[in-house]
Amino acid sequence: MAGGALAGATRTCPLGDAWLAERTGEAPPPSRVDGREADFGEAVDAAAAILRDARLPLVCGLGGTDCESQRAAVALAEALGAVIDPSGGAGGAASQAFGVSTTTFGDVRDRADLVVAWRADPVSTNPRLLPRLRLDRAGRPPGRSLVVVGAEESATAAEADELVELAPALDFEALWALRALARAVPLERELAARLPLDALERLAARLRACSYGVVLHAPAGYASSLALLALVRDLATLAHVVALPLRFEAGARGAEDVLAWQTGYPGAVSFARGHPRAWPGEFSAAGMLERGEPDAALIVGFDALRGLPPRASDHLRSIPTVVVDPCATETAAAARVAFATAAAGVQREGTAHRMDGVPLTLRAPLASERLGDGDVLGAIQARLAGDEGS
Amino acid sequence: MLRIAQGRVYDPANGVNGEVRDVCLDGGKVVHELPPHAPRVDASGMVVMPGGVDIHSHIAGPAVNAARKLAPEDHRGDPIDRTELMRSGTGGTVPSTFVTGYRYALLGYTTVVDAATPPLAARHTLAELRDTPIVDAAFLVLMGNNLPLFELIREGGPVTDAVAWLLEATGGYGVKLVNPGGVEMWKHRNGNVTALDDEVEGLGVTPRRVLEAIAGSVDELGLPHPVHVHCNNLGVAGNWRTTLDTLDTLQGRRAHLAHLQFHAYGGTPGKRPRSRAPELAEHLAAHPEHSADIGQVMFGPATTMTADAPVSAVLRDVTGGKWVNADLEAETGCGIVPFEYRERNYVHALQWGIGLELFLLSRDPWRVVLSTDHPNGGSFLSYPRLIRLLMDREFRNEQIRRVNQKAIGRTMLRDDLEREYTLGEIAIITRAGPARLLGLADKGHLGVGADADVTIYQGRDDVEEMFATPRWVIKSGRVIVEEGELRETPAGELLRVAADHDEGIESTLRPLFDERYSVRFDNYPVREPWLLEPARRIAAGPGGNAR
Repeated sequence: MAGGALAGATRTCPLGDAWLAERTGEAPPPSRVDGREADFGEAVDAAAAILRDARLPLVCGLGGTDCESQRAAVALAEALGAVIDPSGGAGGAASQAFGVSTTTFGDVRDRADLVVAWRADPVSTNPRLLPRLRLDRAGRPPGRSLVVVGAEESATAAEADELVELAPALDFEALWALRALARAVPLERELAARLPLDALERLAARLRACSYGVVLHAPAGYASSLALLALVRDLATLAHVVALPLRFEAGARGAEDVLAWQTGYPGAVSFARGHPRAWPGEFSAAGMLERGEPDAALIVGFDALRGLPPRASDHLRSIPTVVVDPCATETAAAARVAFATAAAGVQREGTAHRMDGVPLTLRAPLASERLGDGDVLGAIQARLAGDEGS
Repeated sequence: MLRIAQGRVYDPANGVNGEVRDVCLDGGKVVHELPPHAPRVDASGMVVMPGGVDIHSHIAGPAVNAARKLAPEDHRGDPIDRTELMRSGTGGTVPSTFVTGYRYALLGYTTVVDAATPPLAARHTLAELRDTPIVDAAFLVLMGNNLPLFELIREGGPVTDAVAWLLEATGGYGVKLVNPGGVEMWKHRNGNVTALDDEVEGLGVTPRRVLEAIAGSVDELGLPHPVHVHCNNLGVAGNWRTTLDTLDTLQGRRAHLAHLQFHAYGGTPGKRPRSRAPELAEHLAAHPEHSADIGQVMFGPATTMTADAPVSAVLRDVTGGKWVNADLEAETGCGIVPFEYRERNYVHALQWGIGLELFLLSRDPWRVVLSTDHPNGGSFLSYPRLIRLLMDREFRNEQIRRVNQKAIGRTMLRDDLEREYTLGEIAIITRAGPARLLGLADKGHLGVGADADVTIYQGRDDVEEMFATPRWVIKSGRVIVEEGELRETPAGELLRVAADHDEGIESTLRPLFDERYSVRFDNYPVREPWLLEPARRIAAGPGGNAR
């Protein structure tokens, strides 16, 4: 810190530096309506009007903000009878099928003798993870192995003891074969001819023999997630093996947690009938937008126009949107109402849940006059409640 | 101001047993008298008790939330609509936070203790408690598998200061030990400990040393609630010997045993268990320094959730169904298995029977109090049925005839235990007793100065119905429930302990933390005011909870 500004950051990765720059650079006006600067009250009125008049409003994003703001977003979605999607993906639904065995960073760092990065490239997506958990080549203690399963050489594969090359389309098959191999069930090799069976056999042997095994994996489709969790469950009777899903947004896990404690469901929830309902896939933001269902959207901390599939973005462009985001995004620029907020962990204190579920305190090294995401959401809800009261 | 007029008052802490009298409330407290014009509720013909106090329940934090996430089917059939007063949510065995608060209040409970929070996850528990309305809540901090504490215990370090520091750092109320040593062993190739003198591999401590050290520290600090112990060998046939060994180890020291029913099994491991409830009841009768809650099993759906991860792995293999395991660095583990207790199942019927035996053989209701270990033995919503089982011998015998008779044959229930709990005794095991064991001097009674938490029941022949639907529930002097409906949904308070520690402990703990956690020592203590307030501090001090 120097003169109230950020002079530099230590222990960050390039992604962290970019994240900080986005939240400390020149900010747009705090509130805008139709792209013009507006005073806060006017913007709140406009946002409340859009959301109140909508037949089926959508609330999405949330992975970029703190737990306090996530609480406010769920409360507002409920008051609106909206659909809310914390963008958890299909892995959550798979873990509901028969559960999951998991862990936290400290136990990976201090106990793991085998780590498998399955279709995950943390060196690119979470660059500090390997060194922090002593999984990089230089930091690994004796007796610890890193095996990468992926399509080809990746930055993470360069750190590994072994790379098991596997085309992405073969994930399910390979995981299912591993289940058999881990339990010493004979495989018909001709049927598994597309798989690198020798390498999978070696991996199965490592998994069976390890004392603390960890499978790091990235968000994947339902079937692959299911197969991976099934494998870990099978292994749990043979060895202490756990899975740890990587997340790429700082608030992704918290969004899921807050939604679950307030509604009972970790994935996309509809409040349209006055109580929470959740069916895997049905209320996903991308799916609903692709089907053209929402007629207004409240987007919190998410550059939806860039992050969603093209057809979903197309629909988003055609409906009125309210954006609450500390960053100057394309989505914010295109919004009917946009609030540029103070960022949690930069100008606002808060709490976030790390990808392993450990709750962390977020400090505010920089001062800001601006409101946080949750304050803006609360103001919109108060305005709506005022309408109801009058 | 509110006068509760002419009810039959059950206030066992003050020796009031069904006498007709007024209870006066003002400023959130019970007061001696009110002016004649003060507003009143006419409680004539009704039963007036202090608000219920749940000494052992699982309502908030990462384990509870993992259970919510795991079982959408548990929620779908039980949706709760948003109203002007209420947030929406879902019920089932593990309700969402708002619904948890509403349903406890609707049941006449106004204070709830969450029995197991890992210190590292305190922020999560606190955030959920803030979204759990109406009830005052406290949580117990898990310390039985804590690596820095193990190190201090092994080296003869300042354990007591470390315990106090952990409580202060988390906003916790009391100390919980879960399968001391065994959960750490779970992380070593799915191991466990099976006896109090088993060594925790590579760490130089045994369950017995952990029990002695932590219980000693809790006593030394004079915490209002004694050490709260979930013994080793939960659910294992023959575990009553471990339970007695634990109690003998803690002889002369205050200790509370959690869900005693799950620790009262005779027989040999791997074979069919039988009841050893009489022996444990005998021990408790002879040891005024020891207490227990029952952890009654109720037939129907449940969700087992415990820091005792190896037990969950056993349950996983029993059900073959959903299972969550969650290791938490340096502190604990967690296991979750949705479960159903069935009347015809030998083990389930035996568990049910042992719980009832413990209740019926108990000679001091102040020290053997009601719990289902919600949601492990069943939901807190089953308390009214449990109360009926205790109060109504005919109903109980009907139920006994429905369940697995081989199991009943291994208990004393076959001899028709005649005891019927009185309303006064129910008031003890559901409010006065738990409040006293917790050292909550302002809870669980209706003497002048007590918190104005009052539950008023319509007297009925069917006590299950009576306890399921209080006529009024008053929290901090405000009418929260009327005619079975919520009238207000104020926030409750966090109840946390205030225990002194030597500031120098931080320099001892810092290196132990930095080696073992992925979170820096300075970021570990909860400081966020929005998580910690509003709170009430209950002071530790000499004498602990002696009142």
